[in-house]
Amino acid sequence: MSPVEQYLRELDGALHVRGRARRRLLAECADHLADASADHGQAQAVARFGAAAELARAFDTEIAVRRGIRATPAMIVGVLAVGGSTLALLHAAAPHASAVLAWAVIFFGCAQASAVCALLAALRAAGMRTRPATPADVALLCRRNGCALAFALLTLLAAGGALPGHGSAVQLLLGPAAAVPAMVLVLRTRSLARKLDAYGQRTVRAPWADLRAVVHLPAGAARRLDPSNPTVLLAVGATVAAAAAFVWGHLDDHGNLASALAAAGTETALTVLGFLLLGPALGLWSARTPRRGSVRA
Amino acid sequence: MNADFLRGHLEGLLLAVLVDEPGHGYALSQRLAVRSGGDLAVPEGSLYPALQRLERRGLVTSAWEAVDGRRRRVYHLSRAGRREAVVAARDWKQFAAAVDQVLGAIA
Repeated sequence: MSPVEQYLRELDGALHVRGRARRRLLAECADHLADASADHGQAQAVARFGAAAELARAFDTEIAVRRGIRATPAMIVGVLAVGGSTLALLHAAAPHASAVLAWAVIFFGCAQASAVCALLAALRAAGMRTRPATPADVALLCRRNGCALAFALLTLLAAGGALPGHGSAVQLLLGPAAAVPAMVLVLRTRSLARKLDAYGQRTVRAPWADLRAVVHLPAGAARRLDPSNPTVLLAVGATVAAAAAFVWGHLDDHGNLASALAAAGTETALTVLGFLLLGPALGLWSARTPRRGSVRA
Repeated sequence: MNADFLRGHLEGLLLAVLVDEPGHGYALSQRLAVRSGGDLAVPEGSLYPALQRLERRGLVTSAWEAVDGRRRRVYHLSRAGRREAVVAARDWKQFAAAVDQVLGAIA
């Protein structure tokens, strides 16, 4: 076996990516090595090309990043479709039906968690589009995408539990059906990212770090929004959620201040609980002491 | 020159060698070697993940084309890539001037 054939075989064995992307890289490398061999000889061509394992890892990472970014619009479509099915289910509920409180709390909690996860995933995908990313970044994006889809499906389930009724099967199943391809894309990408990051390294990525890739924040604001300080993120998130709940409760209950304050308090408690429970998985804060090699942004 | 040092600038260098005309991977590695007088010795295989990153960012496009009677993957600079090449060149000049002011004082 010639040095070039041996190298290509080694590269083929080191690559995790399958399908068209893999075939394209191997074809390009074979072309490159053929040209270089004609100019410098096979041994020199292989030496100049670099280590096969390093090339395979760099290429696999790039494909994982690309797949993670592509899965995000699919996730948004899936979440919106499940949201449509949920609205259809609510519309089909028996008139004057009153919701069971536990299901209602799960419904509102999951709906908001889904929206927040989808927003965080969209920001992460936007940030990764223009900047270098690691397998740990891809795994984080997959967790955010996966959580958004899972919470959207739980919202649909909670709506069915809270308000039983008779809805169109097509309308109800269309949403979950649209979520399945998105979930498959997310899981496929996560599987690739895990192969590349055997230690399951967790990253912390504050939303403002990604927001800077989408909109230009003034330098002063960017400095004050310290991405490594999760307390600031929690304070901002809880304040925004409480204010929104207060305004919504005030309008919905014809200006009843007490119920608006109760809504704001419940929303704040839910936000803090969600931040504490989901924060590490969503890369908002780390429960562990940063170890050597852990990434913060 | 140290390959680790070059890694952060590889994408800008690839945009620069694509400004004048499109090319396949091997042609781009040759242009880099010729223009740098052989000083930019980056592992040639690392060009391909870098080219994929540039494609993801919409700065280059690629297609299989016939070159000298052979089917090759040829990379073209997009309009956004052309703008990015100008920005990369400007940023590099500012960076190099700043480093030169510090390190140049030693000589």
